[in-house]
Amino acid sequence: MNRRSFVKAISAGTLGTAVLARGVEQVFGREKHPVAPSDQVRLGIIGPGSRGQELMRHFLRVPGVKITGLCDIYEPRFAAARKITGEETPIYRDHRRLLEARDLDAIVVATPLSLHAQHVIASLQSGRHVYGEKSLGLTLGDCNKIVAAVRQAGKHFQVGHQYRYAPWIHEVIERVGKGEIGRVSHIYGYWHRNGSWRRPVPDPKFERLINWRLYKEYSGGLMAELGSHQIDFANWFFGAMPESVTGSGGIDSYHDGRETDDNVQVTFRYPGGRSFTFSSLTDNAKAGAATWIYGKDGSVEVTMEDAIFYYEPKRAGSPVSEVMERGVSTGATYSTKGEMPYRGPGSPVKIPEGTGGNPNQLACKSFIESLRNNARPFADERVGWESGVSVCIANQAIAAGHRITFADHVKT
Amino acid sequence: MGTSFELYLYAPNRERASQLFEAAFDEIERVEEALSNYRSTSELSRINANAANAPVVTDPEVFALLERAFVYSRESDGPFDVTVGKLMKAWGFFRGAGHYPSSDELARAREQTGWQRVKLDQRTRSVLFLARGIELDLGGIGKGYALDCVARVLREAGVTAALISSGSSSIYAIGAPPGKAGWPVRVSDPLDRTHTLSTILLKDQSLSTSGNYEKFFQLNGRTYCHIMDPRTGRPVEGMLQTSVIAPEATDSDALSTAIFVMGPEHSARLLDSIAGTSAIFVTDKNGVGRVVRVRWPNQAATSEQMVKTGSR
Repeated sequence: MNRRSFVKAISAGTLGTAVLARGVEQVFGREKHPVAPSDQVRLGIIGPGSRGQELMRHFLRVPGVKITGLCDIYEPRFAAARKITGEETPIYRDHRRLLEARDLDAIVVATPLSLHAQHVIASLQSGRHVYGEKSLGLTLGDCNKIVAAVRQAGKHFQVGHQYRYAPWIHEVIERVGKGEIGRVSHIYGYWHRNGSWRRPVPDPKFERLINWRLYKEYSGGLMAELGSHQIDFANWFFGAMPESVTGSGGIDSYHDGRETDDNVQVTFRYPGGRSFTFSSLTDNAKAGAATWIYGKDGSVEVTMEDAIFYYEPKRAGSPVSEVMERGVSTGATYSTKGEMPYRGPGSPVKIPEGTGGNPNQLACKSFIESLRNNARPFADERVGWESGVSVCIANQAIAAGHRITFADHVKT
Repeated sequence: MGTSFELYLYAPNRERASQLFEAAFDEIERVEEALSNYRSTSELSRINANAANAPVVTDPEVFALLERAFVYSRESDGPFDVTVGKLMKAWGFFRGAGHYPSSDELARAREQTGWQRVKLDQRTRSVLFLARGIELDLGGIGKGYALDCVARVLREAGVTAALISSGSSSIYAIGAPPGKAGWPVRVSDPLDRTHTLSTILLKDQSLSTSGNYEKFFQLNGRTYCHIMDPRTGRPVEGMLQTSVIAPEATDSDALSTAIFVMGPEHSARLLDSIAGTSAIFVTDKNGVGRVVRVRWPNQAATSEQMVKTGSR
C-alpha cells in the first residue's frame, strides 16, 4: 500500500459513509478551526501516571503541542510529569479546576478505568476535545454515557486504541480483505507476561491508588487493560461486534489480595461463523503478545511492531489414501509432519518508507491533526464503545461461568 | 540498545524484590523504546528516518539526552560522536566479521558521519541532519542513561542498596550493602581478564569500561577494535581499556568512550569538566603497556606504571 492509499484507508474509516459525514457537519457546523488559530494545541492531562506520561512524551513529539495543565491526586506525579514537559507546567489537584483554565484545547484522560466516564464527560462538557484512554468505560452504563456526551458536546473524541494507526495493520487488513489467505474464520490473540502486574507502593495507604488495576472497583483487569486492544482488532477486522462470549479466568498464581483475575481465556462468536479467542497469562511469557489471523490459505501474525504472512502448504493432488473396511481403517497413513506447525521465515509486511513508527506516536499525531483539520478521529467513540462493551460483557461471562449473548445487554 | 541488564538489590522480602525488578525492567523497556536503533518503533528510529528531510520535533527527555551527547562531542572536540555508526558499519562491526574498507567506502562513510552535520534547535526541540545518510547511534551513552533512569525509579520506590549493570560496559551502585562502605567492583586486566587491575568500592556512583577486547578483528598482525576515532575514520589503536568512575552512569559511559579515543595525554580537560570523575587507562604501544590512573581511588592524584603487554 503506498502512502496515498494508506491515507485513503484512514479517510475511508473517517468519512466513509454519508451518515458519518453528515454527522460531522452537523456536529461541527461552521467551526473551521477547533483549535487556537496559532495552530498550537494546548493539552491538559488528567492522570499523568505511567500511561499518561507515555502519552505526554508522544504528544510532545508532535510539532506545536504544548502541555499546559497537569491534574492528579497523587502528589509525586507532578514532579515526574514536569520532568517530561521540561517546565513548571501548572498543576491541579481537582479536575474541575483544571477544566476552568482558559488555555486548553483538548484533554488527555489517562486515569483508572472507573474514572474515565467522569473525567471524559466533564472534559467534553467544558468544551474540550478529548483523547481518552482505553478501555472506554468500566461499565456498560459508563460506555453509553461517554458516547452520548461526545455526541452532545460535538467535540472530537479519540479512544486510546493506538493500533488503529499502525500502518502494517492497515496493510494486513487490506491484503486479507482481498483474499490473500482465503476465508478467515478465526482470530487468536494472546498477551502473555511473566510478572505479578503489581507495582511497588512506597506506603501501604497508596496501594489501591497505584495498583488500581488489581481491584474490581476501578479495573476491568486483563480483559480491559490488555485484551481490549485485540478485541478492537477483531471487531475492526470482522467489521462487526461479537454476538456472544464465553470465558474463564481465575486468581491462580498471585494470592496477594488482588481481585482481578491473573489469567483469562475468552472466546467471542461473531456473525457468519467466525470467532476470536483471547488468552492472557501473567506467569509465562513464552508466547508474548500477538494476534493471528487464520485463513483457509494462510495466516498472518500481527504484532505491535510488524506483521508476517505465512501460507498453508500446497496440498497433494489427491487425498491421503485410506481404505475403510467394516469401519476399521486398514490402510490409512498418518503423518505427524502435517500436524506440526509449518515453519519458515514467512513474508514480512512491507510498509512505505516514512509511514512506519510507533503506534502510540502515530495515534497522538493523528489526534492533533484531527483537531487542526476538524476531522473525525479514526478511533472515535464508536470504536471505543464497541471494544469497551465487549470487554464489559466478556468480564460478565467470566464471572458468570456461562455464555452471554450481546443482544441481551446492548443494542448493537 | 540491545544489551542485557542485571540488577541486584536488597529488599525486605521476595515479593517486594520482584515488584522492584518489574518496575526496573519496565523502565529499561521504556528507555529502550525511546533510544534503541534496533527497533523500528523507537523514537530514535523515527528521528533517523526523518531528520534528513525536515526538522523532527522530539520530546524534552530525548532532546536533552541528544544535547548532552553533543556537549561531549564539543568538549572532546570530536572523539565522542553519536553519528559514528556509519564508520562502524564500514569497518564491518555491525555484521560481526570485520572488514577493512576500501578508500571509497571509507570516504563515503566519513561523509555520513560527523556531529557537526546535526543541528539541534532548542527553541523548537527539533533535530535536523545537514547531510543525507547521517544516523544517530546512542550506543556510547544510552546504556549509561538507562542505568541512571533505573536508579531514579528504584530510589523513588525507596530502594537504598542496589547494583545495576548493562552488559559489561557500565555499572551503577545505589548506596551500599547493609553495613558496608560500598559495592566492591572489580576492574579486570585487559591482558588477562582473570586478573584484577583494581578493585574499588562504588557508592552512589557508576563505573564504565570501554575495551578493545569486546569486539575486534585482526588483519595482517594488527588488531582493529570497534571503537572508532571519528577524526581519522579509523579504529583507535594503542589503547586497550579505559574505565571511568562518575556520579552518573550517563557521564561515565560517554567519558569512557571519549577518553579511549583521546588517550591519557589529552583527556585531562574533559575529565575535569565533570566533578567527581576518575579514570584508569591501559595503553599498549609496541608491546609496552602503561597503566595511567587519574584520581583513581586509593592512588596518588595521577600515577603511571609500566606493564608488559603482548599479543593476544
